[in-house]
Amino acid sequence: MQQEVVLAMLAKEPSSGSRLRARLNDALGPLGEAMNDGQIYVNLARLERAGLIVRQGTGAATAVGGAAVGGGAVGGAATGSAGRKVYELTATGQERVAEWLAEVSWPKPDLAEFHLKLVAASQAGLADPIGIVDAQRRELLRRLRDVERAAMAEPPGSPAGLLLEGIALRLQADLRWLEACERTWTDGRNR
Amino acid sequence: MGRIRLIWRLAMKDLRHNPAEAVLLLVAIAAASTTLTVALALHGVTDAPYAATRSATAGPDVVASVQEPTPAAPAALTELRHAPGVVASGGPYEIAMPNLVVDGHSDPVMAEGRSPAPAEVDQPKVTAGTWVRPGGVVVERSLADLLDLKVGDRVGLDQLDGGGLGGGPGGGPLRAVGPSFEVVGIAVTAALQPSPLNTFAHPSGFPEAGLVWVTRAAARQLAAADLGGGPLGYTLNLKLGDPAAAPSFVAVHEHGPVDLIAWQTIADREGLVVSIEQAVLLTGSLLLGLLALASVALLVGGRMEQQTRRVGLLKAAGATPRLVTAVLLAEQLVLALAAAAVGLVVGWLLAPLLTNPGASLVGAPGAPALDLSTIAIVVGAAVVVAALATLVPAIRAARTSTVRALADAPRPPRRARWSIAVSSRLPVPLLLGLRIASRRRRRAVLSAASVAITVGALIAVLMFRQHAGSLDTSGGLGGLYRFSGPGDPLWERGMDVMLVFTVALVVLALINAVLVTWATVQDARHVTAVERALGASPEQATLAVVVAQLLSALPGAVAGVPLGIALYAVVGRHSSGAPSAVAMVAVVVLTVLAVAGLTALPARIGARQPVVEVLASEAA
Amino acid sequence: MTNDGSAEVLLSTRGLGKTYGTGEGLVRAVDDVDLEVVRGEVVAIMGPSGCGKSTLLHLLGGLDRPDAGELWLGGRRIDQLTERGLAQLRRDDVGFVFQAFHLMDELTAEENVELPALLAGMSPRAARRRARQLLDQVGLADRSDHLPSALSGGQRQRVAIARALANGPQLVLADEPTGNLDSAATLEVLRLLEGLHDAGLTLVVVTHDDRIAATADRMISMRDGAFVDEVRLVGGTKGTLAGLAGLGA
Repeated sequence: MQQEVVLAMLAKEPSSGSRLRARLNDALGPLGEAMNDGQIYVNLARLERAGLIVRQGTGAATAVGGAAVGGGAVGGAATGSAGRKVYELTATGQERVAEWLAEVSWPKPDLAEFHLKLVAASQAGLADPIGIVDAQRRELLRRLRDVERAAMAEPPGSPAGLLLEGIALRLQADLRWLEACERTWTDGRNR
Repeated sequence: MGRIRLIWRLAMKDLRHNPAEAVLLLVAIAAASTTLTVALALHGVTDAPYAATRSATAGPDVVASVQEPTPAAPAALTELRHAPGVVASGGPYEIAMPNLVVDGHSDPVMAEGRSPAPAEVDQPKVTAGTWVRPGGVVVERSLADLLDLKVGDRVGLDQLDGGGLGGGPGGGPLRAVGPSFEVVGIAVTAALQPSPLNTFAHPSGFPEAGLVWVTRAAARQLAAADLGGGPLGYTLNLKLGDPAAAPSFVAVHEHGPVDLIAWQTIADREGLVVSIEQAVLLTGSLLLGLLALASVALLVGGRMEQQTRRVGLLKAAGATPRLVTAVLLAEQLVLALAAAAVGLVVGWLLAPLLTNPGASLVGAPGAPALDLSTIAIVVGAAVVVAALATLVPAIRAARTSTVRALADAPRPPRRARWSIAVSSRLPVPLLLGLRIASRRRRRAVLSAASVAITVGALIAVLMFRQHAGSLDTSGGLGGLYRFSGPGDPLWERGMDVMLVFTVALVVLALINAVLVTWATVQDARHVTAVERALGASPEQATLAVVVAQLLSALPGAVAGVPLGIALYAVVGRHSSGAPSAVAMVAVVVLTVLAVAGLTALPARIGARQPVVEVLASEAA
Repeated sequence: MTNDGSAEVLLSTRGLGKTYGTGEGLVRAVDDVDLEVVRGEVVAIMGPSGCGKSTLLHLLGGLDRPDAGELWLGGRRIDQLTERGLAQLRRDDVGFVFQAFHLMDELTAEENVELPALLAGMSPRAARRRARQLLDQVGLADRSDHLPSALSGGQRQRVAIARALANGPQLVLADEPTGNLDSAATLEVLRLLEGLHDAGLTLVVVTHDDRIAATADRMISMRDGAFVDEVRLVGGTKGTLAGLAGLGA
């Protein structure tokens, strides 16, 4: 998960690592369990090193304009053990969040690898490309099934449900492509 | 200009796309137009020939006659020759009443005595042979037609036997044949009642008989042989200075034993037959027009629903609602004009069969000329029918929002809560049938109206046949005129008219029924398919559509009975009466059965069609 | 729902075939199909357009007659039935769900659902009761007096599904049930079908939609009228799932 996500989550209010984790779990629903605990703290550390966030109570984050201090957690939350470190955004951090929100890059699809896998297998005579396609298709269908099951368990309109729908639709798109691969490779063989 | 061309092209293309429907529409309007054309052609059809006859024969303005006078020519009659206003006269002529015997038939005739020299007033025009001469008889043309007499035939003019007057063909014992005469000529006169009556009254009021002319000597001889002295009667023809004043002349001088009749009355009687025909046909064409209207409305309404998608395409391509309406109207108007043309031609060909002025008048019994007003009326009527039936659906179709039209959403059916509730309690075919029927109220009403008109017209025709003997046509013509029944050419003519009308009616009713049933089956297609998919059997589905149809046809048929009685009262004027109960029931039952049959066939075919095909074609 | 030897076979076909046209234009819409569906099973049939899957479904449901082969439902042979027999089959034993819903526009939801029951001769009151109960089961009890035009696509299809269940059929056949629905409505219908599946419904569904197919017990692929592949899925793990979402990288 990108650091910017953690950064942006702090935009609402300063939070501790465990509080962030809880909020992420809410948003991700069943997928939240798969999230690596340590990942959050690693990200927090990186962000702190980059000067985008600071631990509260260290004095370096005073006079942050605007919303960062809205939560009223100033001062009181600085107590406690290491896991309860409360972080907040710096001014640079806020700018970065704004930039990130405005970005429109989209996760890169990874179709080339699979495509080349088929070509390589076919050229080298190592395996039947159609068999590869079928196996991949089955796997995607299994995943799709799990997504659907999870989606049905969510109450209608939940944010996690929306995420699951996104996954399902992408799987569906990939499955369509796999069907096309199968058709083309079969026709190619029959020719 | 370009727009008109565009409208034309689109309209033509659409007509070509649906040829069967276009033809049906055409025939429907054409049938009504034909009837209307014939009706209009009858108007005044004998006026001209009668006028021609009058001028050709120097027809009299007033005919005066006396029956059973004293042996000498009555002074009262002779005095009229010098009455004020009279400018010329012919006669008095003797009249005898012998029997005309030919081919074993004996018919009473009136033999008028004439001199070979032409008379000043009423000189019958000889159309074959020559005028009277000793030993010869000239026969009036309609009588000659009736008895199939030609110049050169020999006939017997017998005196009346003891059996009295009125011996019809083959009636009365024959005496030994009297003087034998040769038919030397055939002529027409304006001083006579109209043909094709085989019995008609001489204006004088003499008993009904055909007319022949003989020499005056022969007339006196025939009369003398009968009564033992003196002619049976005398007739005098008068010409007035002011022919239009004939009726008032008659009023002034009508007293005593002398009978007078004005030429206008004769002319009217001549036209009597035709005017009745005209009344029947005009009413008939109104009915047919209504039926045609219903047919067109049904057809157009059905096609409009199919057309909504095309309308959407037109509009999406930039056509304004006005343009769309124009295209739709253009199609129907083209059809209406074509149908009017067909109707005019067919009517023009048919009219002579009914409007033959008859053998008794001068004038070619050919096709009456179609004058401009007739053409204008027929065309106008056809256009009005088409426009009326088309206007509402066309405007509605054109107003449909483009999006909806492109989505091919047909007009949603009405929701009739009561019918849904009631139908749940009924057995399956009635359940389905009632629901189908209540989906489209306008169609149900049109269907019922069509059946009512058909039944009404059929009942009126039946009543006419039934009550022919008592049809009162007095209407100011001074005397009861009765249609006596088969054998009376007047009656026959009336029946011919009825036949024409009935044929047109049946054709139109059939078209209408086909359209109605077709429309119902079409509309019910999707519903029926879904119900079959849900488990309704083909028999239930077929029956449902028939039930739906009958639900509007039955009330219509029943309503047609009072309608028919009213129609008969209107056309027959003073006539009244009720149809026989058997006839009423028969007409209603047969019509309903016909409708049921016409529905069952397409419904059954539809119910056997694979469900999936229907559903696929109707899928959104 | 696995297919062990003891499970009851509800629907079976042997060599089922349907052809259209003649000579050069001969099309084998369904070509020598053998299929067995066990009671309580959900079978999905997938394939490209024109592969014959809809035709096959119509044959299974008695909406069309096969030209070859045998077809058995609940122990009864049904490929030789008369039109009336097929109608009765459709009424009592098979429920159909269409892509285009095919609801009656002028009837409310409950009037639509009660129709098959009325056709089967149920009293109006009993039919209405059953309709309400089914609408409740599909989650539309509060919309039972709405006309189809007042319902969303997903809701309409749910009404159609309720209608298909009106006479308690042994088998439900669905032809592209989510074909006209958007993603959210598809989920609605999926949810419903899963619920019915859990309750023991036997369902054969023809679909383009992998989402539906993925939740079936068995997935059959069809091409040019014949079965070419069959898949029985065993579930994956959520870990992989999260990875698809971009997490845990």
